[in-house]
Amino acid sequence: MISFQHATVTYPGGVHALRDITLDVPAGQLIVVVGLSGAGKSTLIRAINGLVPLTDGQVLVDGVSVSGASRRELRDLRAGVGMIFQNFNLTKRTSVLNNVLMGRMHYTPWWRVMTGVYRSADREIAMQALERVEIVDKAYVRASNLSGGQQQRVGIARALAQQPKVLLADEPVASLDPPTSHVVMRDLQRINRDLGITTLVNLHFLDLARRYGERIIGLRAGRIVFDGKGEDCDERVFRDIYGRSLTADDVLEARPQL
Amino acid sequence: MTTTKAPGADVRRQPGARPRKPRRYGAWLLNGAIIVAFFWAIGSLEDLGLADLIGAPAKMWDIFGLMFSPPDWSYFPTAMEGMVESLQIAWIGTMIAAAASLPMGFLAAKNVTARVGSTVTRQVLNAIRSVPELILAIVFIPIVGLGAVAGALAIGVHSIGTLGKLSAEAIEGIDTGPVEAARATGASQAGVMRWGVLPQVLPEIVAFWLYRFEVNIRAAAILGIVGAGGVGSVLQNTISFRRWDKAGMTILVVIVVTVLVDATSSAIRRRLIRGSTAATASDPTTEVVA
Amino acid sequence: MRWTTPAAVVVAAAITWWSASEDFGIGLSLEEIASNFTRARPIIQEFLDPQWSYWPAIVDPFMETVKMAIVAAVIGCGIALAAGFLASKVTSPNTVTYLADKGVLSVLRSIPDVLYALVFVAAVGIGPLAGIMAMVFFNIGIVAKLLSETVDAVDLGPIEAARATGGSRFAAVRTAVFPQVLPNYLAYSLYVFELNLRASAVIGIVGAGGIGQLINIERTAFRYDRLAVIIVAIFVIVFVVESVSIAVRRRLV
Repeated sequence: MISFQHATVTYPGGVHALRDITLDVPAGQLIVVVGLSGAGKSTLIRAINGLVPLTDGQVLVDGVSVSGASRRELRDLRAGVGMIFQNFNLTKRTSVLNNVLMGRMHYTPWWRVMTGVYRSADREIAMQALERVEIVDKAYVRASNLSGGQQQRVGIARALAQQPKVLLADEPVASLDPPTSHVVMRDLQRINRDLGITTLVNLHFLDLARRYGERIIGLRAGRIVFDGKGEDCDERVFRDIYGRSLTADDVLEARPQL
Repeated sequence: MTTTKAPGADVRRQPGARPRKPRRYGAWLLNGAIIVAFFWAIGSLEDLGLADLIGAPAKMWDIFGLMFSPPDWSYFPTAMEGMVESLQIAWIGTMIAAAASLPMGFLAAKNVTARVGSTVTRQVLNAIRSVPELILAIVFIPIVGLGAVAGALAIGVHSIGTLGKLSAEAIEGIDTGPVEAARATGASQAGVMRWGVLPQVLPEIVAFWLYRFEVNIRAAAILGIVGAGGVGSVLQNTISFRRWDKAGMTILVVIVVTVLVDATSSAIRRRLIRGSTAATASDPTTEVVA
Repeated sequence: MRWTTPAAVVVAAAITWWSASEDFGIGLSLEEIASNFTRARPIIQEFLDPQWSYWPAIVDPFMETVKMAIVAAVIGCGIALAAGFLASKVTSPNTVTYLADKGVLSVLRSIPDVLYALVFVAAVGIGPLAGIMAMVFFNIGIVAKLLSETVDAVDLGPIEAARATGGSRFAAVRTAVFPQVLPNYLAYSLYVFELNLRASAVIGIVGAGGIGQLINIERTAFRYDRLAVIIVAIFVIVFVVESVSIAVRRRLV
């Protein structure tokens, strides 16, 4: 489904975010990407929908090259890739439903977007997305009035409304408390299993990664240092990824054991 | 983690029934009111002459061409003379307002003056502010005669309103430490104001004065249309007698001089003080929105 | 700061002396002003004794002023919505558009409202149309600038989210930026409506319709008792609208 071929990203100023990444993600997998902040996790995810352009190599999504795409093609590609953000990135001053309808924008003529009058079929898709994350009762509430966990579920619904083939989640639980983090992670797991959407999640908590990841990718300084099953990801592997021993900050449950 | 039950599994969620779409009467009412008011206003304006609008862009283009291709350079001294007088009017007006607004600012500050006194002063300042300079000029002209003095007085009086209000706000934002220190020495109320309060707020207030000077230049450039001195009368004469090349020259002088003085004044303001409203309100045409 | 403060005081004093002097400046003399105020006592008395029975004559021109202010604010703010988004780096499609729009707006703002009125009266003739056109330009400059500064400060997260769904730039602006700045935009619109009421009193003097035209008639007829009625009316209306507008704007933002 997603294929990185020698993908390299160097930011202006000389920071090497990704170095020669080659990686294949089969359809339907739930992959967790772990690593320190600055290891290139966010860049890796954003390279898939072209929010960060590659400086070298290429990324193929469903056979389409991200860097080779025209603006129009890139937007078509993005429409098939849902994204979830650390800070939810909701438009807070408008309703939950309007936020979710953003996921239908790509399929909606400009005048409907301008007037905010979406087709009833699109509204139905948005409602169903909200139902899937069990927050449909808040559809007409202002996004700013929701708790962090609720906002993140709206973020997931927005991505689902795109009816995507791929779901990208950039540190989806970093702004949430531990119980809410599990709720959100289980939502993602359920969506991955029920809908078969290929899912990539960035996490920095290792215990969450092991619990939910079918496959774990360890990134360090822009390179893949681990690629395997959760159970193989032990203390030794951890030191490779983090370059130091495990501390309380690296796990969600505040106990430095795996 | 001994149990297989995932942590957080006990977090309950409300079963979701789809809510009914709430009617947003407020938004509809506002949109409706604006649309109705707009068409009512257009429909009921007599002699609007919307037909004139059709030829207007072409006509404006013509006028623009006549003004600036090229402007009448020989008219520069006349235009410049008027603009210098406008600058002088603006400066004197600002000085009058500065002198009068400083005590008014103290009187209007809630942390310095008793509640009743400050509220009354504030209302007086608001009242002064709501009469435009040009109207004040119309009042002053029959009293002190046609000319720049009437203009300077008009600008001076009008600016007392804004400057007094801004000064009061600056005084209300002071650090109370030095005030207490001055009071502890047994100083009189006047002494406390002079040595405890004034040194703290003066840079900010002087920045407000300069800012107001920039605003006043614009006002002083048009006062001439009622005979209160400055470049305004030159503008009016050249435009109403359709001497477009001379009008173009005058407009050019007004814009260039305004921009130059603005740049100088705001550079001084920025050096005087950083980070306050006086320094950040960098464009005098968009006055501080309350 | 040690030597600059006295130097600044000296420079300011010199500018003041130069501006006030009889020979180089405006000829400001306190004695003269004082004696003028004494001699002008009859005129002052006329101002202080308004001819209240005159008020029905000012109703129609005042309604005209209000209508002009509404029409100009609606058109001006509508145009400013587009101009404001194009003048922010966040929402402008490219640097050329951004710089060009910013440049045009700063020229628009450097021209006083009365100057617009003078030119439009010359172009389309005396009457409210010229006044409306003048206020439209005046409003575009102000609202677009304030709006673009608000847009500069929006939360960029929702824009990234909108782009990630495959939305166009326009769609992102509409769904991710517009809701964030809407309350401010409404506040600015109300603010310029209020400015228009004040401005129309002034631009009418050069023939652009509204109450200002009546001011001009009474002014040239030396009817200070009537002028006083008009001034009181302007004062009351501006004061009331401003108080309401400030209260509403506080609630909006």
